Amino acid sequence: MIKYVFRRILQMIPVFIGVTVLLFILRAPGVLPGDPVRMITGERPISDALREQIIKKHALDQPLHKQYYIYVTNLLKGDLGESYQRRTSVVDIFADKFPNTLRLALAAIVIEIIVGIAAGIISAVRQYSFSDVFVTLSTSVLVSVPVFWLGMLLQIFFGIRLKEWTGGAVFLPMSQMSSSQFPDWVHLILPAITLASVSTAYVARIMRSQMLEAMGQDYIRTAEAKGLTRRAVIFRHALKNALIPVVTFVGIDFGVMMSGAILTETVFSWPGVGREIFLAVGQRDWPVVMGGVIIIVVIVMIINLLVDLSYAVLDPRIRYGGAQE
Amino acid sequence: MAALLEVRDLATHFFTRDGVVKAVDGISFSLDPGKTLAVVGESGSGKSVTALSIMRLIQEPAGRIVDGEVYFKGDSVLAMNESQVRDLRGDRIAMIFQDPMTSLNPVFRVGRQIGESLMLHRHLSRKDAFERAIELLDMVGIPHPRDRARDYPHQFSGGMRQRAMIAMALACDPDILIADEPTTALDVTIQAQILELMSELQERTGTAIIMITHDLGIVADMADDVMVMYAGKQIEYGPADSVFYRSGHPYTWGLLDSLPRHDVDEKGTLLPITGQPPSLINVPSGCAFHPRCRYAREICPREVPASREVGEGHFAACHFAGQDGFVRGAAQAGGEVA
Ligand SMILES: Nc1ncnc2c1ncn2[C@@H]1O[C@H](COP(=O)(O)OP(=O)(O)O)[C@@H](O)[C@H]1O
Ligand SMILES: [Mg+2]
Repeated sequence: MIKYVFRRILQMIPVFIGVTVLLFILRAPGVLPGDPVRMITGERPISDALREQIIKKHALDQPLHKQYYIYVTNLLKGDLGESYQRRTSVVDIFADKFPNTLRLALAAIVIEIIVGIAAGIISAVRQYSFSDVFVTLSTSVLVSVPVFWLGMLLQIFFGIRLKEWTGGAVFLPMSQMSSSQFPDWVHLILPAITLASVSTAYVARIMRSQMLEAMGQDYIRTAEAKGLTRRAVIFRHALKNALIPVVTFVGIDFGVMMSGAILTETVFSWPGVGREIFLAVGQRDWPVVMGGVIIIVVIVMIINLLVDLSYAVLDPRIRYGGAQE
Repeated sequence: MAALLEVRDLATHFFTRDGVVKAVDGISFSLDPGKTLAVVGESGSGKSVTALSIMRLIQEPAGRIVDGEVYFKGDSVLAMNESQVRDLRGDRIAMIFQDPMTSLNPVFRVGRQIGESLMLHRHLSRKDAFERAIELLDMVGIPHPRDRARDYPHQFSGGMRQRAMIAMALACDPDILIADEPTTALDVTIQAQILELMSELQERTGTAIIMITHDLGIVADMADDVMVMYAGKQIEYGPADSVFYRSGHPYTWGLLDSLPRHDVDEKGTLLPITGQPPSLINVPSGCAFHPRCRYAREICPREVPASREVGEGHFAACHFAGQDGFVRGAAQAGGEVA
C-alpha cells in the first residue's frame, strides 16, 4: 500500500514537468502575441531604464530553459512569483481566493451527494414509477443545459423576478457580502446549485444504473433467501456495491470543483480560483495563470490519488500492491 | 403424520412481452423430515422456479404463483404475509444456489455474511454471530476458520465458497435445505466432496434436503425420492429405487440412458435424448414430451396424460405407463413410433 502511494507520487513528477513546460512554451516570444514588458506596464510610456529594470527583475532576458529553471527552483521554495498586474505574490492571491472556491465546492458536493444519490436510489427502487420517469427526464435535461445559462436563468428568476421576496439575497456577488443583511451561506445557494447541477444529474444516473445492476445480482437473491427485509437487502447488500463507482465519480468531481469552477464563479462574480485565472488570462497576467494552473494540477492529482485509495477501502477485491495470491 | 413440506398442484407463470411462460405447471410432492428429494430435469424445466416458489421468492409482478398450495408443517406458505414468510426464509427453509462465485456478496466478509441470519433470526450480537460463523466454517471443513472468516469471498476458491454457502444455509439449523444445482459450477472432484459434505451434515443435523440437479447420476446415492420435471410439468415422481429401476416414463429412460455407466465397458452406448426442450410459452399439445418421444402415438399430441400409479407411491405421467411390456429397454427398436 505504501509502496503503491509512493509509486503514484513518483508518477506525478513527469505530469507536473509536462504541464509546466507546456505553459512555458506557450508564453515564449512569438507563441502568444504581446510584449511581456508591455503586459506588465500596460500602455503607458516607460523609460528605457525602467524597461531594463523590469526585464532584469523577471529574468526576461534569460533563455527560456534558464527561466524555467529559475521558476521551478522558486516553486520548490513555495514561491510562484509576482503578479504582473498587481504587485502581490501569486501565492498570496490564491491563498486569498482558495477558501471561497473551497466553500463553493463543498456546498456543491453536498448537494450532489444528497440529491444525486437519493434520486438515483428512488429511481432504481421504484423503476418505471412516476418518480423514476421524473428523475430520468430531468437528469437528461440537466446534463445538456450549459452551466452559465442555468446560472443566469437562476439569477434572473430569483434575483430579478423574485427580488421582493428574496430581498436580493441570492443575487449578491461576494464583494457585497460584508454589507449584506443575510448570513454568508445564503449567497452560496445559487452558485452551489449551478455548480452541482450537471454532476448531480450524472450521480443520479450512475446511482440508478448501478443500483439496478446490483439488485439483479445473485447475492441479492442469497440475501433475500436469508429472510432479510427488502430494506436491508437494498440498503445493506445492494447499496454498498452500487456506491463504489459513484464514490469515484464524486471524488474526481470534487477535485475538479476544488480547482475552481471557472464558468460558475464568473457568472456569479464569485471571487474564487477559477474566476481569478479567467481574469488573469484576459489580462495576460502570466505568473497568475501559471501559478493557478499548477495549483489546480497538484490538487487534482492528490484528489485522484485519494479517490483511488478510497476505492481499495470500499472494494475488498482491490488491494493496491498487496500480497499476491 | 403431516409431511414437513407438502406441495400440491403448484403452478408459477411469468407474464412476459412474448406471452405467458408456464415455468411450473402442476407440481405435487411431499417431503418428510430428514429425507432427501431429488428434483431432476433438463435446464429450463422449471426446477429453480419451483424452489423459488416454495420460498416465495418469485419476483412479482412479472412472475406469479397462479395455482396450488404449499404447506410447511401444515401451515399454508402461500397464505402467509410478507413478515411470516421472512421468518421462514433462512431460518426454517434455507437455500443455496448454483454459482458460489456470484452468490456471495463481494463487499462483505464471509463470516459476517454467515452470521447475518443468526443476527436476524436468533438475535445474536454481531460478535456472537461472528464466533458462531467461525464454528460453522469449521463444521463445513474450512481450515483455519478463524482467519478465513475475516476473508472476503474473492479470497476463497469455488469449492470453499460453496462450503461457505452451506455454512450460511445451515446457520439457523433449518428444517429444509433447498440446494439448487449446488455442484454444477464446480469441478468433478470438488463436486463429490460437496455432495459428501451435504450427506454427512444431513446425517448430523437431520435437515431434509431438496436437491435440484440436471444430473440423475449425482443423486443416485443420496435421494430417498426422485421427481422428474419436463417443461414445467412433473412427469415422474416416486421412491428413488423405484424410479431408477422401474421407471414408467420414456423421458426418464432417456435420462437414465444418457448416464455414463461404470459397470459396462466402452461398448455401453450413451443415448442422449434427441431434440431441444420446448419453449414454455408454446408448450406442445397433449404430452409436452411427445415431439421428442420415440414411443409417441396418435393419442400423445391429443391428450394430456394423467399421472398413473406404476408402483407404490410411484407416479408417471404417460399414457402407456404401467402397461405390459412398456418398460425401459423393451421397446428399444422404436417400432411403434406413430
Ligand atoms: N424472471 C423470469 N421471467 C421470465 N421467465 C422466466 C423467469 N425465470 C425463469 N423463467 C423461465 O422459466 C423457465 C424455467 O426456468 P428455471 O426454473 O430456471 O429452469 P431450471 O430447471 O433450469 O432451473 C425457463 O424457461 C425460464 O426461461
Ligand atoms: Mg436452475
